[in-house]
Amino acid sequence: MTSGETPVTLTVNHKTYRLFINSSALLLNVLRDQLNLMGTKYGCGIGECGACSVLIDGELTLACMTLAGTAVGHEITTVEEVGESPVGRVITEKFLNHAAVQCGFCTPGMLVAASSLLQERAIPSEQEIREHLRGNLCRCTGYAALVKAIQDAARELHPDSERRPHAG
Amino acid sequence: MMPEVGRKLPRKDGVAKITGREPYSHDIYLPHMLYAAVYRSPLAHARIQHVDTSGAEALGAVCLTPFDVPDFIYNERIVSIPTKTYKDRRVLPTIARHVGEAIVGVAAETEELAVRALQQIRIDFEPLPAVLSTAEALRSESPKLYDRIWLGDRPIDMANNIAVERHITEGDPDDGFRGADFIVERRYTTPRKYHGQMETKAAVCQPLPNGGINVWATVQSIHNVRQVLGQIYDIPLSKINVMKLALGGSFGSSIQMNSIIPICVGMALKTGRPVKLVSPREDDFYDHAHYQTEMVLTVGVKNDGTFSAAKMDVVADIGAHHIQADALLGVMAGWLASLYKWHNFQFDGKAVYTNKVPTCALQGFGNHMVNFAVEQHLDIIAEMLGRDPVDLRLQNYIGEGDIFWGQGPSIKSVIQSCGVEEILREGSVRIGWNRREKPVDKQGRYRRGLGVARGFHTSGTGGPKPGDVIDYSSATIKVNEDGTVDILTPVVDHGGGTGEAIVKIVADILHVPYHMVELSDVDTRTTGYDVATHATRGVYCGGGAAAHVAEKVHRQILETGARILQVPTDDVTLAHNEDYGTGTHVFTKSNPDRQLTLAEIAKTAQINSWGTIAATGSYRQQSAPPCFMGHFVEVEVDTETGEVRIVRAVLLSDAGTVVNPDLLEGQLMGSFARGVGFALQEHSETLPSGALAHGGWLTDYRMSTSCDVPPSDALEVYYAHTYEPTGPFGAKGVAEASLSSVWSAVANAIYNAVGVRMYDLPITPEALLEALNAPHVLNV
Ligand code: FES
Ligand code: FES
Repeated sequence: MTSGETPVTLTVNHKTYRLFINSSALLLNVLRDQLNLMGTKYGCGIGECGACSVLIDGELTLACMTLAGTAVGHEITTVEEVGESPVGRVITEKFLNHAAVQCGFCTPGMLVAASSLLQERAIPSEQEIREHLRGNLCRCTGYAALVKAIQDAARELHPDSERRPHAG
Repeated sequence: MMPEVGRKLPRKDGVAKITGREPYSHDIYLPHMLYAAVYRSPLAHARIQHVDTSGAEALGAVCLTPFDVPDFIYNERIVSIPTKTYKDRRVLPTIARHVGEAIVGVAAETEELAVRALQQIRIDFEPLPAVLSTAEALRSESPKLYDRIWLGDRPIDMANNIAVERHITEGDPDDGFRGADFIVERRYTTPRKYHGQMETKAAVCQPLPNGGINVWATVQSIHNVRQVLGQIYDIPLSKINVMKLALGGSFGSSIQMNSIIPICVGMALKTGRPVKLVSPREDDFYDHAHYQTEMVLTVGVKNDGTFSAAKMDVVADIGAHHIQADALLGVMAGWLASLYKWHNFQFDGKAVYTNKVPTCALQGFGNHMVNFAVEQHLDIIAEMLGRDPVDLRLQNYIGEGDIFWGQGPSIKSVIQSCGVEEILREGSVRIGWNRREKPVDKQGRYRRGLGVARGFHTSGTGGPKPGDVIDYSSATIKVNEDGTVDILTPVVDHGGGTGEAIVKIVADILHVPYHMVELSDVDTRTTGYDVATHATRGVYCGGGAAAHVAEKVHRQILETGARILQVPTDDVTLAHNEDYGTGTHVFTKSNPDRQLTLAEIAKTAQINSWGTIAATGSYRQQSAPPCFMGHFVEVEVDTETGEVRIVRAVLLSDAGTVVNPDLLEGQLMGSFARGVGFALQEHSETLPSGALAHGGWLTDYRMSTSCDVPPSDALEVYYAHTYEPTGPFGAKGVAEASLSSVWSAVANAIYNAVGVRMYDLPITPEALLEALNAPHVLNV
């Protein structure tokens, strides 16, 4: 502990960590530098790319835009945990089978974003998927494979919803 | 065993990448590590008179200034042979030559402290006049960026800002133009672009007690980075180890050693502690860009639709450092010469220094620029002749049996596989080319148009004789005692699936299933040389080298099997049989019941102390075959706003045997998205101050989001049925080809929609509106 650092308790992936952090410390840096959770990536640091996507109380959040101190008392979920969740496993498999991962640098953020979408919407339309991923940049894939993989994951997770006739 | 080459199989690093477990250079943390940040020049051109680091040091930071680094001039890209390598770069310069040039490195206990210390750096600059355009730079009275640069070991005293010129002629162009029925001349420009790889450049350097260093960094070539670091810091290569890691995208921006790597190394050597340096996104924008070009293309045309001569004048704005402009001009000439039968040909290129962000390759290295000029020119000529654009291309393209020299005049190959005709015919059918109408027949606010363009790229830079560019690769392959296989390859995978392709190639040669062959973690110590994953050479050259070594391993398996079975080696073969053990086995031809699994052979060799079945080697491909590409695009132009929407596109490639069909589709789709972004929106523009207009922000640079690219069902891919006889299992490259003709096809489709020819990129709504509202003197 150096001057200016205060003790806090953070709940990350259902585990409780007692840490010393600076009041200006960003969640992204605390996750990576102190907790060794490297799946949350730095792509811009200013909320433009989505590589640092995490869930806070289930809400899609950018870790680079979040002061670690404000996450105290909230449930932080990173890609390491999302990847182990039932929804996350299905999306992972679909990303793999649709070749939706190339360099992979954006992909953990995509997985977090996709899982938050599929928690909210059983069978999102292509447009809804695209809107939801708007904050997650991918330079490699052109997004097509990601979108198809998420559609496929939704169908697998909700086999019944698919057969429901479209409203209107 | 069904061949693994050509099957859709999950990529080896897939789950690790998706779930955040794959380490990139950003993810390397070492005990007792310092964090570094870089002070960058606020001025476009200034002499550094004095650096005051006392404020930073008072905070506990250690600083590396231009006066601390070796006074050594180098080129960070050593892909070309030494006598063709221009050098103008120092680890930290005493003269800043562009806004954002790194001047001081600062290392501290935390990243936050490093950034605070950075703010305490004080520099006395002597501002120098800057040149921010090629026109300005070429004026005789303009200030020069350099007094002296080096070509290999030879000093060059600079009379002006021309970094290099190349003049390449074939045949008799003057005579060719005299024989033309008419001549078409146009000027095209392409802007500065940013690579936009999602991983910013990073490096971690660990100094070792023996004076050596370990380096984890963003690289496209572990071996070249090792060699350049050895030159700069005078460390024997045996004491430098550069690790191969996943690369978070690159698109050419790490063919050279990234500028932050030697800064990181310098700080590690100075402090004696591991140092980590991750570029902030803004710094990354100021570190690399792609060449801005002006091209004047003149083509002599005969009324029968053939060409009698072509001439291209190029002025390339290379920014503040010459990374590979000499090679750029060579390949631009090569791309032009290898697209169509011009019969006589002249290329005059100038690469010009300016006080702007230094430039380097970007997926295609000059290819898509030349393509933008030539493919629009073809449409212009077709209209003048009253010919169909597809037809005119079919009449004049360079194909099988012709010479291809896309990588410049010293790298020539005879084309042995060519899918151009199939691409053009199939694309026409799929897009519905026969419904294409003339622009004059269109009315209304929203107008649709169809456009075609074809392109290509090389597969590596090999050839029967050594050229200006080094090209070979290496591999080590060994059979484990349970019959699984390890591959050690230095080839870096950008994400396109080079690694998986190499695994499939080796798997098929050894008749071992994909899931039993793995890629080892490697570094410069455990691998032979590979030049770099550039020039679309990963599968063709890297895979070629792996195939070459796998054949040696195949022979060893047969020899060892024969030794155990006590039969002559020519009496055994290697095959795969699902019914038998792990499948891979050696059987005796004279008595097929006598067989051994690969595991039994490897294990027996171990137990008998015969040694490990393994081989290592290097291999140079004897050819550099083109992978051809075609784009058919339908656009819709909103004539009131100037906005362009992609309605449909067919992306057609000729990659020879397709090794990874799903990953190839991904590359074609991704390249199309980037190409449309480059066509319509992206521009890394420099302000009069030398700063970037978009400020180093992704949003303002306008990188495409998931909502900007066409919907999934608008895109269709097609693979031509070709077989490259010189490639592993008939494969050639494809990566860079897939971008080559995107923006040309978009521009041609826009013309077909609204009858306005756009010669300058990007075709923004503002630019298109202005052109639409201009008095239409001449549409073609
Ligand atoms: S790093 Fe957080 S949005 Fe880019
Ligand atoms: S896979 Fe490379 S940025 Fe998305």
